[in-house]
Amino acid sequence: MAAHAPTTGHTLETNTGLDNRKLLMWLFLASDCLFFGSFIAAYLLYRDRNVVGPYQDELYDIPFTSISSFVLLMSSLTMVLALAAIQRGNMRAMRIWLVATALLGISFLAGQAFEFTEFYDHGLSLETNLFGTTFFVLTGFHGAHVAVGVLILLSLVHASAIGKLTEKDSLAVEIGGLYWHFVDIVWIVIFTLVYLIQPG
Amino acid sequence: MENPELLLGIPFLLLAAFGLFIAFSLFALPAEEGAGGRAITRAHGHPEPADYVIIGLALALITLIEVALYYVDLNFSLMVVILIVLSALKFMLVVGFFMHLRFDSRLYSILFFGGLGLAVALFTVVIATLEAGLV
Repeated sequence: MAAHAPTTGHTLETNTGLDNRKLLMWLFLASDCLFFGSFIAAYLLYRDRNVVGPYQDELYDIPFTSISSFVLLMSSLTMVLALAAIQRGNMRAMRIWLVATALLGISFLAGQAFEFTEFYDHGLSLETNLFGTTFFVLTGFHGAHVAVGVLILLSLVHASAIGKLTEKDSLAVEIGGLYWHFVDIVWIVIFTLVYLIQPG
Repeated sequence: MENPELLLGIPFLLLAAFGLFIAFSLFALPAEEGAGGRAITRAHGHPEPADYVIIGLALALITLIEVALYYVDLNFSLMVVILIVLSALKFMLVVGFFMHLRFDSRLYSILFFGGLGLAVALFTVVIATLEAGLV
């Protein structure tokens, strides 16, 4: 498995024996936990302290958001299949899975744009009440992360198409995948804490 | 029974607890040591694509259960517990298998769960403090 050489099978000549780029990504993801933690905490604290509506139970469309969540979950599956493909030297399959992941990510973003528009039409904006402020900031920053992820995926596809990403560069796909999966696990938490758990 | 909805939640709670137990067990299983100290399970160092598909289906199924739970008339506290357990299960499956944390160096796990633990601890204290009106 030559394609696997950068990350497996050999101890690298670094202080940790690990690839510094991958280590850096894990460090970034750890710090991003605090970033999203602050927004989730703010949402949980302030969502019920509104003096004016509209309120979350009037706006949330759980079946629609469930489909969006399902789309993002499945994008994690296609992402890991893209990594498995490049690790097996199948570049064409990798590109197909990466494009599928990007399309699923774009579908999720389209769903979010639709949801935001619906909420806005029902009178909820960033300034309406504390629910609006904390909700839009939290889910908006998550959406921004997804958008960056889509750009990463498309740049990987482009690099592969022009021959700059070869089967020896599986680490690049692995690092891009780590970022994408992180975006997915953040949504797992948001979906449960923000959408499904709504106190009376 | 004073709260019949509590009884209704027991199967969900057991299912969620069982799933979480399986996920933690998979993490705890000793993996074969590969060259350079990496833990591996399969010949290629990572699970096979078929394993990923099974995990993907499991994630979809858990999401389905979560959404179904939302529509069941259940005691709120119990529902919160079950949903959080199911959410934790999905989280562990993605982190452990799709992000390969179970098969990679322990240092990555220490870094990530260190950051995650810090975030959970910090914001639990913040929420508890503000909710209690201490500041």
